[in-house]
Amino acid sequence: MNRAIVFFLLALLFIPWLAFADEFERDRRNMVRSQIRARGIRDNATLEAMRNVPRHLYVPAVQRRYAYQDRPLPIGYGQTISQPYIVAYMTEIIRPDENSKVLEIGTGSGYQAAVLAEIVDQVYTIEIVRPLGEQARRKLKAQYGNVHVKIADGYHGWEKHAPFDAIVVTAAAEYIPPPLVEQLKDGGRMIIPVGSPFQMQLLMLVEKKGDGEITTRSLMPVRFVPFERGE
Amino acid sequence: MNTSLNNGSTRLIISLGLHSAAVIAFQLALMQLISIVQWHHFAYMIISIAMLGFGASGTLLALAREKLLRISGWFVPLLMTISGVCMMVAFHITRLDIFQFDVYLLFVERSQFPVLAANYLIFFMPFFTGALAIGILFIKHARHIGTYYFSNLLGSGIGGLFVLFIFGNIFPQQVPPLVGLLSVSAGLLSMGKKYYKVHLAVGAISVLAAIYLIREPGDIPISQYKSLAQTMNLPEAEVIYSKPDIHGLIEVASSPALRFAPALSLSYSGAIPVKDNIYVNGDFYGVIPRYQRGQTSHIMDYTTRHLPWAIRHNDRVLMINAGEGAPLAHAFTQKPQHVDAVIANGGVVRMMQKVFAEESGHLFLHDNLEIHTVEARNYLASITGGGYDLIVLPQQDAFGGTAGINALQENYTMTLESFGLMWDNLGADGMISVSAWTDYPARTTLKLLATLAHTAHNKGIGTPEEHIAAVRSWGTITFVLKKTPLTDLETKKIRQYAQELFFDPLLLPDILPEERQRYNMVGDDDFFTYVDKIMSGDRKFLEGYGFMIHPATDDRPYFSQFLKLGNVRELSRIFGGDQVPFLELGYLIVVVTLVQSTILALLFIILPLFRLRKSHRRKGGTLLYFGALGVGYMFVEIILIQRFVLYFGHPVYALSAVISTMLIASGVGSLTSGKIPAVPRSPAVMGLIITFMLLFYTFFLTPVLQWSIASALPLKIIISLMLIGIPSFFKGFMFPLGIRYLASYDPGQTPWAWGINGSFSVISTSLAMLIAVEAGFMAVMSVAVVCYTIAFAVFVLHRWFFRQHTGEVAAGP
Repeated sequence: MNRAIVFFLLALLFIPWLAFADEFERDRRNMVRSQIRARGIRDNATLEAMRNVPRHLYVPAVQRRYAYQDRPLPIGYGQTISQPYIVAYMTEIIRPDENSKVLEIGTGSGYQAAVLAEIVDQVYTIEIVRPLGEQARRKLKAQYGNVHVKIADGYHGWEKHAPFDAIVVTAAAEYIPPPLVEQLKDGGRMIIPVGSPFQMQLLMLVEKKGDGEITTRSLMPVRFVPFERGE
Repeated sequence: MNTSLNNGSTRLIISLGLHSAAVIAFQLALMQLISIVQWHHFAYMIISIAMLGFGASGTLLALAREKLLRISGWFVPLLMTISGVCMMVAFHITRLDIFQFDVYLLFVERSQFPVLAANYLIFFMPFFTGALAIGILFIKHARHIGTYYFSNLLGSGIGGLFVLFIFGNIFPQQVPPLVGLLSVSAGLLSMGKKYYKVHLAVGAISVLAAIYLIREPGDIPISQYKSLAQTMNLPEAEVIYSKPDIHGLIEVASSPALRFAPALSLSYSGAIPVKDNIYVNGDFYGVIPRYQRGQTSHIMDYTTRHLPWAIRHNDRVLMINAGEGAPLAHAFTQKPQHVDAVIANGGVVRMMQKVFAEESGHLFLHDNLEIHTVEARNYLASITGGGYDLIVLPQQDAFGGTAGINALQENYTMTLESFGLMWDNLGADGMISVSAWTDYPARTTLKLLATLAHTAHNKGIGTPEEHIAAVRSWGTITFVLKKTPLTDLETKKIRQYAQELFFDPLLLPDILPEERQRYNMVGDDDFFTYVDKIMSGDRKFLEGYGFMIHPATDDRPYFSQFLKLGNVRELSRIFGGDQVPFLELGYLIVVVTLVQSTILALLFIILPLFRLRKSHRRKGGTLLYFGALGVGYMFVEIILIQRFVLYFGHPVYALSAVISTMLIASGVGSLTSGKIPAVPRSPAVMGLIITFMLLFYTFFLTPVLQWSIASALPLKIIISLMLIGIPSFFKGFMFPLGIRYLASYDPGQTPWAWGINGSFSVISTSLAMLIAVEAGFMAVMSVAVVCYTIAFAVFVLHRWFFRQHTGEVAAGP
């Protein structure tokens, strides 16, 4: 009888948690439908990954209720977790598949790595800010066996596991480190966001051609309709 | 000094001067501190609200005038002491975790609002209590207001100079305890011998507290979004040098992860060397270059900034704002015969020459280098026929943008007039080179091109496309404006250089559309259409573009200001409402400052006094007169600071010269005002004199300054003293004459006058900035003229009204 009461009380405690979990799940589905699919992301693997990864677990506790809103959020140390659509866009643009090996520079919250881990074979991610890296490592380790977190200067890339099919640079610097270009496979793609905190203006795609030529392409996220000028 | 004042009054007057010095010194110190923690305009936002303490003190005075005057003997000293203690501890309190806020987070986290409100309150207290003490003295001694106002202004002038002097010698966080001590001393001095035990106790505790806070100043908690804070997140990061300077706090940080190679070519496969970074007030300033004599290559050879050197060798070079370090080292690897480097921040130059000389390969002591520690604009005006082969400007904007945080920073280097001077100082075949980070929507790059095209046009070049070349990488564009048309050989070299480094030519005399996007494709092809429109001189395009891309001028020297307020709704539609604040934070902060200070002033200062003083007659006149004085005085001060920044070539010196001269001259005017009767005719005549004087300044101030800008320093000082001092002397009459007349006519209105004057002074600073951005400094001056005309008209009408009703001229006290 006593056991039954304890079990009952424990079950009661779980009810709010379940309710919240349910709510987050609903928010996540809404996010994929209204923020991501509606803006033209069509890659099924990306959409599925965005539906699966619990974004609210990758934001600070005080920001959790905003986790599925259409905006970047602060995660401390002057860093942000990107707007969901940008994460999806960056994922889709590097054309990941189940055989891909991807390097991420700037683990940050760990969310982008988690989304990639849902799709690709191996994710190697490097974070330079130790507390952020350690926090992300704990979260990612609990959920994914194919994500490898290193706390180091991303400038040097991860030579041991190079070359990579794609590189995602989430914390862009004023220069693209030559070792990263070196560690990108011929025909590989590197994506870099360009913008100040909380502001996402452009994405830059770097493509390494087979003949050693490297080209870049500025991409305008669909969210921003072409800027009209009265003339 | 008025002979009727007794010893007690003399002591009060000295205390008032001391306390006034502390208040202004605290204001300037706080501005500096919050500029380090956050950014300049945000510091201004906080302080403008805190300064409403002046207005609020007027409200309290009006509400409890009799009681406050009755207890003033002990209450005024107490207020000065409290104000001093608040000055000592206010900044230290806001360093506590619960009071720390961030301007970036303000627009994304609601929890920042109560923290901001708490900051307002903390900084409000020293100003409110300090202003209340001053206000009580003014009201109580309204008959001798000239002398008291003189002491107030003289003290403020000296306080301003004092703080500027100590800025260069002690750390910013040590300043508030020191100036707080001044105010505490003022309180003790005014207390009288009767309370000597209290004197000793309060004095001893304050001195001990100040000593502790000065000896243990602690760190300044800078925003996590400032570049120094970001650097300190890197492994093994440490600040290896820190020195307070009149230009701001100079710091050097070191980390094995710090490198400098802005928009490096993707063809570069070598290592990027590690460098230490220089920060001023927590913002990135430049790097410590690791230059070696005889070096012939540099990492910047692989950036678009190498363009002018790829075109040809240059012997005589002028580097503007060369404190960045790396571009200077880059220039010397190209073996020029002579380099003039203009670096306004003398502190950085001294540091490079003395502390980091070895590390930088004695670059700043190079035999072929001459350093000029003035603003670039001042240097350009002081030389004639520089004969430079190349003038290099610093890179504009920042990677990924700055969210417009510096939008309202006056920049006289990037105005059309400045480019005109650069052109005049080029040799027969000289070039101007300037680079910018690419941005979306395109603003900086287009404004830069418009400035170059306008400069060419102004110098009689009918075909600018033959004189302007530009190369684009994945992140930057470098423009070159050449005095003579680009030759075939030069265009060939540019193409070759671009191809080797995976860059694309953007502008060449014979540019082909297909070569503009060979290596670096853009998402919005319209960019090239805009570039071509600017080159073709399409003025309608500049007018109609969604952002302000007209070239900056001396009248509107805001190169980094792009937001058109009228377009905010449209921008919100395109980019989303949450993104709009980050398009131009600097400008929006000033708008927010103006709106909130106006609302607060109306709610808590002006409206209550209207309601509470129903019995008083002609309050409208008091509001108009003292409001006009508040706005007029500040507008003139702001214009003079702007003009003298150009004249002296140094913002800090200009600021100190203008503020101190204005305050002291006004103080003398105020003292002299005691000798003339406080009848309506007096302020009316003074108002008229000032109006005419300002009208004269509207048209002749700039030409006079331009004519004498290259004169010897002593002559420039004499000219400055006259130009600033004379109108300020007359302006010094207006407030005390008004107060004296009001005290004789309706004494109950005097606290209100004090509150209104303070509130309008605060509001007018952000108002002046908005007018300057939208319409230029000429418009600001015009408003100042209107203000003094209003002040004149108020007393003319008052006199007329009095005559109509009494048949006499209103008599003074």
